[in-house]
Amino acid sequence: MAAVNNWNTSQHFLLIVLGFFVAFAPRYFPIKIFTQRKIPEWFNEWMKFVPVSLFTALVVKDIFVSSSYQVDIMGHIPEIIAAVIVGFVAYFTRSMALSVIVGLVSVFLLAVVL
Amino acid sequence: MFKDGVQLYYLTEADIAKWQAGGMRNLVLHAIYLEALFLTKQVPNPNEPKWRTTLNVSMPLNLSYIPIGLACGVLLHAAGFNTLLTGLVSIFIFSGGAQFMIASMLTINAPLVSIVLMLFFLELRYALLGSSLSRYLTKTSERFKLIFAVSMNDENYAVNYLKFATDKKWTPREALMVEHYSLLFWTVSNLVGSLIGSALKIDLTVVHFALTALFLYMIIMQVKNRLTILISVVAALLAVFFLVLTKSTLGLVIATLISSFIGFALEHYLKTKRPSSRLLYKIRSRSSKDEDEDVVEESGEN
Repeated sequence: MAAVNNWNTSQHFLLIVLGFFVAFAPRYFPIKIFTQRKIPEWFNEWMKFVPVSLFTALVVKDIFVSSSYQVDIMGHIPEIIAAVIVGFVAYFTRSMALSVIVGLVSVFLLAVVL
Repeated sequence: MFKDGVQLYYLTEADIAKWQAGGMRNLVLHAIYLEALFLTKQVPNPNEPKWRTTLNVSMPLNLSYIPIGLACGVLLHAAGFNTLLTGLVSIFIFSGGAQFMIASMLTINAPLVSIVLMLFFLELRYALLGSSLSRYLTKTSERFKLIFAVSMNDENYAVNYLKFATDKKWTPREALMVEHYSLLFWTVSNLVGSLIGSALKIDLTVVHFALTALFLYMIIMQVKNRLTILISVVAALLAVFFLVLTKSTLGLVIATLISSFIGFALEHYLKTKRPSSRLLYKIRSRSSKDEDEDVVEESGEN
């Protein structure tokens, strides 16, 4: 599933430069603007839903979609089961470290067993 | 590790819960909690130099950055970043969530445009942090605001917001020092992580699932009410649909935009038209059932 990335150093560098600007703009302009004005409420309310949508989309890509962009459930059985386990661990322990470690161990074991 | 009562008290007080976007919620809470301890126990010594005071304030945060920075460095290395670039990305982007996402997107060979767009949407939340701190920065120069903005992120924001809110003497200059200490610890941890990554041979598939698990954890931590779950499901369906349709990771961006907007619109509709809707029921987290003042008790009327 995870193909080795073949970008070169200058592509990575370009990513950092562009990434800097997209990270900097939302940090800077609100500070600059809202030292004078108030924040529109709708913007806050919308942004609240961005992280949960974004992370869900990323997880779905990892566990349901193949690298050729087809829905692939059978090829991801270990990941899907491990994801369910991680969900429970995260919910009950609220520990990031434990969630990741349990996830890694279970995907590793399930890949061996299945 | 620490009691929920204290976290939640500070959560409601600082409105931080709303902006727990980066997902590093536990880190922030931890930092805030230790910070709270520090505030109550430490008697300020007037002779202590500024750099010491600010270092003390930022220390809990700095320490919690070490393990996560190491992990991030290892993952970035696995995604193909060399050590120098890992250092650069830590300084110039300085965001755990964003750096983990870069690593993840690189391992799935996403094109540059998709990664930058995703970064943009992920980083948009900083607008919230910046705007809520802005009232403490009204007297600073334009140049200072610029420098301050460059190294602001979720965690040092949380510390600084709390300091500004509780300590009348806390100045923007001290806040900037806290930012720079956390930046230093973060960058060094990432560099060390990158070196560890180059020394070890790491299985990419397994590393990749570490990110999946991390994102899952972040989702679970964001779930505040039934509406969030619904939006997560909508995002999942849309993500599959648009990924298959566009045959590229751009599908992730489209799905994110649409589903977050649906969430916003639906919440607005429910709050104004159907305030008793079951979708607005709060989800009680397992670990905070007794202390959570924020949870409105559900009356059995429905």
